[in-house]
Amino acid sequence: MRALVVDDSAVMRKVLIGALGRANINEVDQAADGAEAVQAVQQNEYDIILMDWNMPNMLGIDALKAIREMGKTMPIIMVTTEAEKSRVLEALKAGATNYVIKPFEPNTIVGKIQEVLNKSKGQ
Amino acid sequence: MKAENINPFIESVYDLFTTMLNAKAERKNVGIAKSANPRDIMALIGISGRVRGMVALAFPVSTALNMVNKLLNAEIKVMDDTVSDAIAEMVNIVAGGAKARMNTGDEKPLDLSLPTVVRGGDFSVDYPTNSVWLEINFDSDLGPFTLRVTFEPEK
Repeated sequence: MRALVVDDSAVMRKVLIGALGRANINEVDQAADGAEAVQAVQQNEYDIILMDWNMPNMLGIDALKAIREMGKTMPIIMVTTEAEKSRVLEALKAGATNYVIKPFEPNTIVGKIQEVLNKSKGQ
Repeated sequence: MKAENINPFIESVYDLFTTMLNAKAERKNVGIAKSANPRDIMALIGISGRVRGMVALAFPVSTALNMVNKLLNAEIKVMDDTVSDAIAEMVNIVAGGAKARMNTGDEKPLDLSLPTVVRGGDFSVDYPTNSVWLEINFDSDLGPFTLRVTFEPEK
């Protein structure tokens, strides 16, 4: 299993990499903005992506749309401070698989990762 | 800015502490901020949309290190880019949580700027004339810190 963590905060990337490790995913690439994420997806295959919303160069929501337009169907979990209902709906409409609002308890994000991967395997 | 408008920010601070830091924070006095920086390190983030303003979190070095070490389960002993990055993310989380609480219906969500971190004990932060910043001091399991907030309706 290979994951991509997209967040402009290196500390948040570390936190999320730790959560992926608890979900037994230890091969993890990192991107610091949406543009880097799109480039990484063009060059590599990922089983899951964790995506922030507010980042420089390209927002996470725009990277999500670009990745779905590429025909990629891997689970993408938005992990963001954007907590308004309209933002959640916008992300789900754009193809997000799930949505986690910061701040989160460590078990919450691990559970969401396992949940979307289990659903993905079942499809 | 009315004092009750500070509540979404205080609740957001509590959320950050209980979820990601597994610690407790307690609000102390609320007052009008002076220009001088109250702490060693300050993270600021802008809010824009139907209201505009700024949110700042300021920490002594000891509190900043305690928070980052708790977040990462690490033992960082000196201020470095990791600490600045973590503090920036924390003000981002506090502002994000507050702006969602301020959204009462189908209004367009407020936007956040990218956070900025200022380090060093001898700088001052000056604010435009007529802008009023509320300052809330906190005590916490990880040490004291200060929240500053100002915002006004878009004209």
